[in-house]
Parts: sequence; C-alpha cells; structure tokens
Amino acid sequence: MNQSWKTFAWASALFYAVLLAFIWSALTRRAFLQTESMLDYALLDLDSTLNGSIDTMLMHVGESIADELGGARPLSSERAATLVAQRDIDEVNVFDRTGLNLGSSDPRLPGTRIGDNSKSAPFMMLTNGVRHAYSQPFRAGAHNPDVRRKYVGVAFPNGDGFVQVGIDESHVTRMFPSIMGFIFDAWLLGETGFFLCADIDDGHLISNPARHRNEARFLAETGYDPNDPRVREDGKTTFRQRLFGDLCDCRAVLFCGHRVIAALPPAEYYATRSVYAAVMAFVLALVLILFVLLFRRIENDSNCLKAFYAAEETARAKDMEIAKTIQTSALPVGFPASAHFRLFAAMQAAKEVGGDFYDYFPLDDTHVSFLVADVSGKGITGALYMMTAKTLIKDTLLALRDPAAALTKANAELCRNNPANMFLTAWVGVLDIETGTISFANAGHNPPVKIAASDHAPPGHPAAAPPRYLTMKSGPMLAFMDGITYKLRHVALEPGDTLFLYTDGVTEALDLKNELYGEGRLLETLRAIPAAEMEPESICTIVRATVAAFSAGAPQADDITVLALKYVSHPQVFSRSFEATREGLAEASAFLDELLGPAAARSTDFALYQRLLPTLHIFLDEIGSNIVRYSGASDFVIDLELVEEPRGVRLVFIDDGAAYDPLSHADPDTTLSADKRQIGGLGILMVKRMATDMSYARANNRNRLTVFKTV
Amino acid sequence: MNIEKSLEDGKLSLKIDGRLDTNTSPELEAELQLDGVKEIAFDLTDLEYVSSAGLRVFLTAQKAMMACGGRMTIANPNAIVKDVFDITGCSDIFTIV
Repeated sequence: MNQSWKTFAWASALFYAVLLAFIWSALTRRAFLQTESMLDYALLDLDSTLNGSIDTMLMHVGESIADELGGARPLSSERAATLVAQRDIDEVNVFDRTGLNLGSSDPRLPGTRIGDNSKSAPFMMLTNGVRHAYSQPFRAGAHNPDVRRKYVGVAFPNGDGFVQVGIDESHVTRMFPSIMGFIFDAWLLGETGFFLCADIDDGHLISNPARHRNEARFLAETGYDPNDPRVREDGKTTFRQRLFGDLCDCRAVLFCGHRVIAALPPAEYYATRSVYAAVMAFVLALVLILFVLLFRRIENDSNCLKAFYAAEETARAKDMEIAKTIQTSALPVGFPASAHFRLFAAMQAAKEVGGDFYDYFPLDDTHVSFLVADVSGKGITGALYMMTAKTLIKDTLLALRDPAAALTKANAELCRNNPANMFLTAWVGVLDIETGTISFANAGHNPPVKIAASDHAPPGHPAAAPPRYLTMKSGPMLAFMDGITYKLRHVALEPGDTLFLYTDGVTEALDLKNELYGEGRLLETLRAIPAAEMEPESICTIVRATVAAFSAGAPQADDITVLALKYVSHPQVFSRSFEATREGLAEASAFLDELLGPAAARSTDFALYQRLLPTLHIFLDEIGSNIVRYSGASDFVIDLELVEEPRGVRLVFIDDGAAYDPLSHADPDTTLSADKRQIGGLGILMVKRMATDMSYARANNRNRLTVFKTV
Repeated sequence: MNIEKSLEDGKLSLKIDGRLDTNTSPELEAELQLDGVKEIAFDLTDLEYVSSAGLRVFLTAQKAMMACGGRMTIANPNAIVKDVFDITGCSDIFTIV
C-alpha cells in the first residue's frame, strides 16, 4: 500500500523549520525596530524636556527682571551685574524697540544695536507686541567662541523693548545634578528601560534608576564603556552594552557636559518575540500535524477506496467469468449430422457479457428446431435468467412442437417469475426436413435473412433473388408483457436455400467513428458470398470476419451470435410393406428394381445409386429370406432411402417376428475347406462384410435392421 | 435367371445368366445332375449377383466333384460375385479361371 503521507510529513517538518526560522528572524527584526524607535523617542523626548526646562527657567528669570525693571530703560552695569549675580545667570541685556542695547552685564554691549544679519536678529520679533518670549539654543559666543551660551528674550509689555538673559552651557553643567537628576529618576523608558546620566569628565552618575541607585555611583560601575568600539554617542545609533549585568540596547547623547544613555533591556521586547514565536510555533505545528493527519486519513481513505474498487473489480471480473462460463456451457455442442440440412452457429461473447444464446435439437426424425435469443440482462443474473429461458423454450417446444405455442407458453412462465425485470428477444423455428418448410415465431428478434440458392434461378433469369430479410411482423419481446399470443408463420426453403439468423451484436457493432454495422451492410456481405462458400460454417465465419474488420479497434459492446441453416435436399425415402413369404420376397426384389432399375434412371447422380442395385438385392435376399423362413413374421416393411451425405442407400428391414439380432451371432469360419464348411450363417456374414454400416434395434415388438451401403 | 447347359465327355458346362438367389438357386440345383460328371465349368459372365443361396449350390457342386476326384471351374465372375467369393472365403476353395 502507498504511504506517501510520510513523505508529506517530512516535507511538512522541513517547511515548519524554515517557516519558524523566518518567523523568528522577522520577530527579531520587529523587536529591534521597536526597541530602536522606543530609544529614539525617549532621547528626542529627553532632549526637548532638558532644553524646555532650561528655557522655562530662563524665561522665569527674564520675566522677573522685566517686572523689576518695569520697562525699556537704560540699565547700569552695576545693576546688570547685581541682576546676574542674584539670578545665577551669566548675562543680561535690555533692548529698546529699535534693538538698541540700553544696558548689559557685558560692558562691551551697551549702545550697540541688533543688526539685521546678527544672530540676535530673531529677538526683534519680541518688539511687535505679539510674541512674549523667544529662546535660542546653546551656541558659541560672538566674542568668545569657547563659551557656548543660550539666550532667552522676554518682551516688556506693549512691545516696549525686551530683556535678554543668557546662560553658559558650563553653567548648566554645574547645575545639572541639582536641576536634572530628578528628571532622569522620574523618566520612564518602556517598562524596564532606564536612563543613565553621568558627568563626562569624572563619570559621576547624577541619575540612576531607583533599583540600581545604591549599587553604582560612577558610570564605569554600571558596565558602560565609552571606549567600546560599538558605542556611538550620536543619539542615532543603537548599540549594545552590558549594564548591571543585563545586555541592553542603548542610545547615547552628550548634553551639557553629561553623557545621557537610554537603555532598554532586550527582555522587554525580545520576550514578546519569544512568546510570539512560541505561540506561532505551536499553532503552526498544530496546523501542520492536522494537515499531515488529514493527508494520511485521505490517503488511507483513498487506499481503502482503491482496495475496495480493486476487490469490487475482481469480484465483477469473477462474476463475468462465471456468467460467461454459464452462458458458454449452455450452448449445444456439435452440430446435427443430416443429409438434408446443414447447420452451423457461433457465439462470440462480449467482454461485458451479453446474454446471447442459440440452440437446436430434433423434435423427431423429420423435424428439427433451432433458435437464437438475446437476453437483456448482464452478469450472473442475466446468465441464470438465460439458462431459465433456454430450458423453458426447449421444454415447451419439445412438448408442444409448435414455435408459436411454445413462445406463448414460455412467455407466460417468464412473466410470472421475473423479479429482475429482464426480457429477451427470440426467434424460434422448426424445420420440416421432408418438405423444407420452416414454421417459426418471432419474439421481437432481428429478422433473419433468407438466401436463395443460386442454382434455383429459373433459366433466363440472370441470378437468384438477392438475400432478403424475413420482414414478417414480429411479436413482442418475451417476459415483457403477460398474455401475449405469438403467431405462427412459415417460410419455405428449397434445397440449397439458407436461412441466416443473428443477434443485434452483428447489426449494432460499432466502428471507431461510432457508425453502426447495420442491416444494409449485413445484406451486402451475404450477397457477396460466392455460391461455393454458401455453406453455414463459411457464412458464419465470413459475417463474423467482416464485423470484426468493420469494428477493428473498437471494443466489442455486445455478444455476436450467428446461426445459418442450409436446407440441402428433400429426403428420398421409399417405403413398402410385403407379406413374409417367398412371394413377398420376390415382390420386394421387384420393388428394388422398380426404384433403382434402368427404367428409373433420372440423373447422373442417380446412376451412382443404381450401381448399388446388385448389392442391395443380395442384402434383401439374405435378410428377407431369413425373415421369411425363420422369424415367424406375418409381413415386413422395407424403407429405402437415397442418402446424399455420404452418398449411398440405406435399407431398413422392419418385421413383426421373434426378436432376433443377427449382429449378435458369431461369424462362421470362412477358412475351412469345402467339405468341412457348415452351410448357413454365410448370408448374414456377407451382408455384414459388404455393408458400410449396419445396426439392429428392437422397438414396438418389431425387429428393425438397418443396412447402409455407400456408392 | 437363365441357364445354358451342355454336357460333353463328362464335362458339364453351365452358363448362368441373371441373378442367383433364394428364388433362382433351386433351378440351378435342379440342373446339376452330376451322375458321370467329372468336371463342371461355370461361366458367370452374365451373372448379375449371387447370394448365399446360390453360393450354397456352388459349394455343394464343389464338394461332389472333390468326392469323385473331379474338377470344378468358375469363369468370369463379375466384381460383385468375386467380392462375395472373397468375403465368404470361397475364392480359396473354388478354382476361378
């Protein structure tokens, strides 16, 4: 049995592994992207928060100075210095609405004006009365490039100039631990991520996630190594560092003298990867196992089906074989040997058995019946029904001796017992051997063809009548309808005429183009047979051969049955009764002369019989004198038959004397010399030795001695 | 059946014409007066056939000739007669010339 489900299972496992690898890599990628975007977002957020905090702080400072000054008025350098010191900033300027510096903590600036192309030009927006504050990021100073300073401007009410405060980056750096530490501690990065913030110079940690606070005071203690080649502190590159023992995805940025590191332990996103992978692995495995099981089930089912069909096919083939055996065994074996008719039949069963059969059997010495039938059912049922029908037709025919009456009775029987609703067509004929007349009845069967002998064409006529169908009206099929009475019809055969019967397997044979062999073709085939081959066996052979040639290559759909009967001659039997006396014997001798003497000459064939006359006289003398002398018979009958096949004369002596079988007695010794010879017994010996065939029978209290002599 | 008979110096010549059977053999038997006959010569040229009844007549004559040291000859049997002689073993007994 086929087990390709195993191959399928292996293929599925391989597919599963590849798919899992793909899923794993996809999930890994996804987790990495999630980590990256989380870190990216965290740093962006942090940057704006840190900058925003400084801006807010400077804005508050600017506002308080603006409040204190009350308007755009000149500011002394002392007061500016006091303001700077009080507010812990690095620079303060006051500008009027034209951008003129009214006072500054930087002694170089008072009296200068913000130029159109100056870095401070955007601050002029504060003079239009719309904008209240403006902030600039840290940048290198115009006068001292080493100092990076940030400016925030706050407008006086009514657009009356503005106050500008500045703070150095290094200043912020110094303030960083005190103003920023809490931010980092409160900052959330996912669920497990954290920020590290350490002084670039001394590595002192100003921020530490709560859970690690007591364990590390310097960045180096967390495991972070700024010199690691993987580390890129540009805020855009994700790298890995082992922090507090956990491998973390990190991004780092330098900000105000501090190193800010956002770290996310991979567990956060990679854990979900494992969960997803596990779930998908499980689901996929389940699906694939289901597929494999389904495949196996289907395969098993299909194997079962195949086995079932194979078994079914075997059983069917067996059935067909049995049916064919039944069908074939039902056919009669051998053909009747008669001088007056010749019969031949053949049935070629189709692969799918049809229900054809033929039959022939004598009804008595002078009547022989023959039939062809086609049962509708196939297989064993059909074959058994065929047997029933065959037996029934034979029995009724033997009993009633009339084809029509037999079919009428058989039909009634078949209708009464037909559970499978089968039916059959049949053509049944009885040949009267003495007259050549066939009486027949047809139950829905194909019309037979009568082929007239060519030598019966009257002089002057070019040829015999062509073969023709006996188109007399047919009765219905047998077993089809109850209460049918079939009609008896007749067809006369002259010596040499032939009747050809067949089943629809002949006329309905198909060629490769699905064309029917047809009745026309059958008629043409029969017409084309030369007179010399117009014999039952060769007719059947020729028709079968043409059908086979016609349907060459196409499968045989139905049984092909052919039967041909040729009426050869009227029998020539002459019979006369004589007294069992010497006078009677003389009369019998005269009877022989009368039949076969020179005066009786008829034809050249007849002369052959006449040559037997002396021998026949010897037979008559020996057997007749025995009857007259010894049997005690009152009279005796002589049947003389001129036999054509093999040509000869048959003499039958029938007497009512005592039973006596001359064949049962030992022959006298013919080797003895004359003086020792027994006179007697020689007569029977002579007959025995001269006859071609001799037989004795006792029936109806009569001796019946048959002597046959060929010419 | 017709029999032509002549007797000369103890030689009886018989020419049998027709059929020799149950009906006719008594006639032949009647013609065979064998006193003083030393030789019998049958001419069967025109004998159509012979049945066992006729054969018996020939056999009787043969026995008589053998008994008196005489001789019997059969001339010109046709095929059927010859056949009968052969079948019955008479060909070996009779002198067929």
